[in-house]
Amino acid sequence: MNRTAPSSAALDYRSDTYRDAYSRINAIVLEGEREAHANYLTLAEMLPDHAEALKKLAAMENRHFKGFQSCARNLEVTPDDPFARAYFEQLDGNFQQAAAEGDLTTCMVIQALIIECFAIAAYNVYIPVADAFARKVTEGVVKDEYTHLNFGQQWLKERFVTVREGIERANAQNLPIVWRMLNAVEADTEVLQMDKEAIVEDFMIAYGEALGDIGFSMRDVMKMSARGLASAPRQ
Amino acid sequence: MFGLIGHLTNLSHAQRVARDLGYDEYASHDLEFWCMAPPQAVDEITITSVTGQVIHGQYVESCFLPEMLAQGRFKTAMRKILNAMALVQKRGIDITALGGFSSIIFENFSLDKLLNVRDITLDIQRFTTGNTHTAYILCQQVEQGAVRYGIDPAKATVAVVGATGDIGSAVCRWLTDRAGIHELLLVARDAERLDRLQQELGTGRILPVEEALPKADIVVWVASMNQGMAIDPAGLRTPCLLIDGGYPKNMAGTLQRPGIHILDGGMVEHSLDIDWQIMSFLNVPNPARQFFACFAESMLLEFEGLHFNFSWGRNHITVEKMAQIGSLSKKHGFRPLLEPSQRSGELVHG
Ligand SMILES: NC(=O)C1=CN([C@@H]2O[C@H](COP(=O)(O)OP(=O)(O)OC[C@H]3O[C@@H](n4cnc5c(N)ncnc54)[C@H](OP(=O)(O)O)[C@@H]3O)[C@@H](O)[C@H]2O)C=CC1
Ligand SMILES: [Fe+2]
Ligand SMILES: [Fe+2]
Repeated sequence: MNRTAPSSAALDYRSDTYRDAYSRINAIVLEGEREAHANYLTLAEMLPDHAEALKKLAAMENRHFKGFQSCARNLEVTPDDPFARAYFEQLDGNFQQAAAEGDLTTCMVIQALIIECFAIAAYNVYIPVADAFARKVTEGVVKDEYTHLNFGQQWLKERFVTVREGIERANAQNLPIVWRMLNAVEADTEVLQMDKEAIVEDFMIAYGEALGDIGFSMRDVMKMSARGLASAPRQ
Repeated sequence: MFGLIGHLTNLSHAQRVARDLGYDEYASHDLEFWCMAPPQAVDEITITSVTGQVIHGQYVESCFLPEMLAQGRFKTAMRKILNAMALVQKRGIDITALGGFSSIIFENFSLDKLLNVRDITLDIQRFTTGNTHTAYILCQQVEQGAVRYGIDPAKATVAVVGATGDIGSAVCRWLTDRAGIHELLLVARDAERLDRLQQELGTGRILPVEEALPKADIVVWVASMNQGMAIDPAGLRTPCLLIDGGYPKNMAGTLQRPGIHILDGGMVEHSLDIDWQIMSFLNVPNPARQFFACFAESMLLEFEGLHFNFSWGRNHITVEKMAQIGSLSKKHGFRPLLEPSQRSGELVHG
């Protein structure tokens, strides 16, 4: 018996419902790219030996930002900036605090691992349901994000023994925030036909692979990447 | 290197295994958690053939659970399989068996149209359903099991439940072509496919399961059921040989009645101990040697360097291919599992 999966109801990218949800999701994406840009510049100051490379990453994030701005314009959507700033407040606060303390490991984990994997997962899940214009933009962005992830991965891998505990702590502190963030926008992502489950799974795949490459055992990866997942309150 | 993609039979089974392995996060949470869980390469395997060859493999837990299908979470089920396939391909594994429901999901949801998974394109040559070997082993269990339990094959009526399936249809072809049985009963739900099968075979009687069971001396269970059905042993013949090849099992619980014999269908026993841990989570008496024929097919293909999709699609298994994989099976030391299943409550000796 051949049973095809229920096909997505045709998405009306011009409907009020879609554009309303998009105003928040797009704003979150823009804020994420904006903060990523700033974070890589901060990291460049903390790591003068890698300043060149990090400034390049920052420049790429800026291009992403502009790309996603054009996606909103294309759909005649005004991104909800205040919503997005509040959305990132806790995670960003942790990054800023770590930077102020000179805690490079935490900064790397938050930006180069967690935020990059979050972006990769969200963009991967978005691409099949995006409008044609946004799809092209996002496909280009995702390719970049994989290289960003790789940068953080390499840096942490080279210092695994010394940074191991720091990674575990930063993971324990920040991963639960990501799960809560995902839950908070579940209603909006559903409107965009992005499955929250799929985003989490995609995140865990990218994040788990990175942690494994950095030096953690499979058992550690499973425990770390699931941290706080089940206790995050569901709508 | 060979790969095995598998799954557990239901949520409580999955929670128990997670607990036994020490993964508390996975052990105490509900289906939602598994719906979000990524595939994991949880075991490394070393197996030695009776020829002396040694090969290595990996087991990937897909985190698929049959409840996902029962609850209509089709996209979830599809993702589990595609992600597991992407994982083994990324690791450069040459040939991987899609165990249990994974091949069924691939087929039913046309995953061949969805081979682009994130940054890779799945290469179907790296996979096999393992169904040819499973069908072969089931037929050996019929033939050799009949003899062992005092059933004369020439006089036997054999019912195949799930007759129109990939494995079921192959079993029917072999029983028609190569085994001298008395009568073949074809059991499944879709009438059109049953008619087509009957036409192709040129024999076979179509009956619903409740009518077929009382008439059968041997029952081959190989239907794709999310959970087993309750069977009343009082309604069966004696002696009766029930070969349950379903995963999850087609027959729920245990059946105890003198004269009723149950075999774990589609399972092989190796001549040597295998170095792995996964089989200790499935209810087999000797996990170091006894396991699924579909997994064994991936090992056989690796032993022989046959890196292509030996078993693929649905309804393409020929008697010749079954004989081919059967001879490789014997060559490397696999035998059909003929020990009474723990489901029968029969005493297992030694
Ligand atoms: N032991 C082993 O090594 C292996 C075991 N398996 C198991 O074998 C089983 C079959 O696999 P496969 O051949 O690939 O699957 P298919 O999907 O190809 O075939 C399944 C068959 O079962 C029939 N069926 C489904 N539900 C019922 C029902 N309630 N009553 C009667 N017939 C039913 C289907 O026909 P219809 O829909 O018309 O009823 C179809 O004929 C599965 O349980 C699978 O997990 C698979 C691989 C290896
Ligand atoms: Fe970016
Ligand atoms: Fe980035």
